[in-house]
Amino acid sequence: MSANCHDLKKLNSVLDSFIVQKTIPALGSMLGEPMMHSIKKTQEIPITNLDLIISDLEEMNVMSAVYIKCDGDLHMGALLYLPENESKTLASKLLGRPISNELEGITTSSISEIGNILTASIINAISDDTGYKIYSSVPGYAVEFFRTLLEAVVADFGNESDTLIVSHVEFHGPKSGIVIHMLLIQNPSEIKKLMI
Amino acid sequence: MKHVIEIKMGGLEIITSEAEELKTFVGSCVAICLFDLTSHVAGMAHVILPRKSDGKQSTVKNDIGKYADEALSYMIDGMIQKGADPKRIKAKMAGGATIFAHESETSLFSVGPRNTISLRQILKENNIPLVSEDTGENFGRWVRFDLHSGTLTITSNLKKFEKMI
Repeated sequence: MSANCHDLKKLNSVLDSFIVQKTIPALGSMLGEPMMHSIKKTQEIPITNLDLIISDLEEMNVMSAVYIKCDGDLHMGALLYLPENESKTLASKLLGRPISNELEGITTSSISEIGNILTASIINAISDDTGYKIYSSVPGYAVEFFRTLLEAVVADFGNESDTLIVSHVEFHGPKSGIVIHMLLIQNPSEIKKLMI
Repeated sequence: MKHVIEIKMGGLEIITSEAEELKTFVGSCVAICLFDLTSHVAGMAHVILPRKSDGKQSTVKNDIGKYADEALSYMIDGMIQKGADPKRIKAKMAGGATIFAHESETSLFSVGPRNTISLRQILKENNIPLVSEDTGENFGRWVRFDLHSGTLTITSNLKKFEKMI
């Protein structure tokens, strides 16, 4: 099954409303500043051509990433990522102290927590709106090149279809300059569940 | 300069010329290589998942490397058609990493190790010796196979190493 242009536009708008309702307030409260967001693109990509969503910038930078899998009435994957150096700025803001050394221990936990909160807020908004029961996995943390992260997520997603619907969301803190990226990944056959 | 054939996720290619090289990138997926150096036939698949659940065979050519069982079946048949002797076919593999680490012991993300376990089992069932492998760990790998030497070269940009197996 593949999605048409209208479906993708609709999904974009539905996700945007969930993010506005719950995610932006949750993230803003956690980071102590008003946050902005934009859904850069929602597209259907063939799993055989992940290069379509790997930009040159992402190919060059090592990313700090959190992956959470959602199951239940809706099957969805959420990958949060940002360049490794910027993740130190994020962790420093969360922990209230400078992070000068390697990302480990409490530092990686704090970044995982951001992934947890972002994903949980979206799940809550979806549940409130649709009544779906959705469960999320424990967050998985990694520091790697974007290609590796994406490959691992797509493999883990265990998709039987040849394509995936990927929505790229960017969160931006105008005061701190923090930029957090998030990919929301769904099976094409699942997206209709959000368009009711 | 060799002609490099890049294999996409879930893809599979077979070569019969030493002027060609097979290349792919794997994280938790596995690059499985079968080769018969005497007949100059080699194949590589980018395996994403251990087994196909519905039992139906893929019809789309660029997706036949996706499942370990289906990929090996296609590769063995394809190599024999191109002149490989099944008794001489050997295997090498790389990848199957666990990219995401968890604070809990829950192993929801162990698709990498599950892929390598499945491939070892299918190779055994087909009496194909696995002569070398570079699997597991937690990083992505570029993998290149050279049909002339039978060498599998593995490169990690993150860990900054290159090794040949």
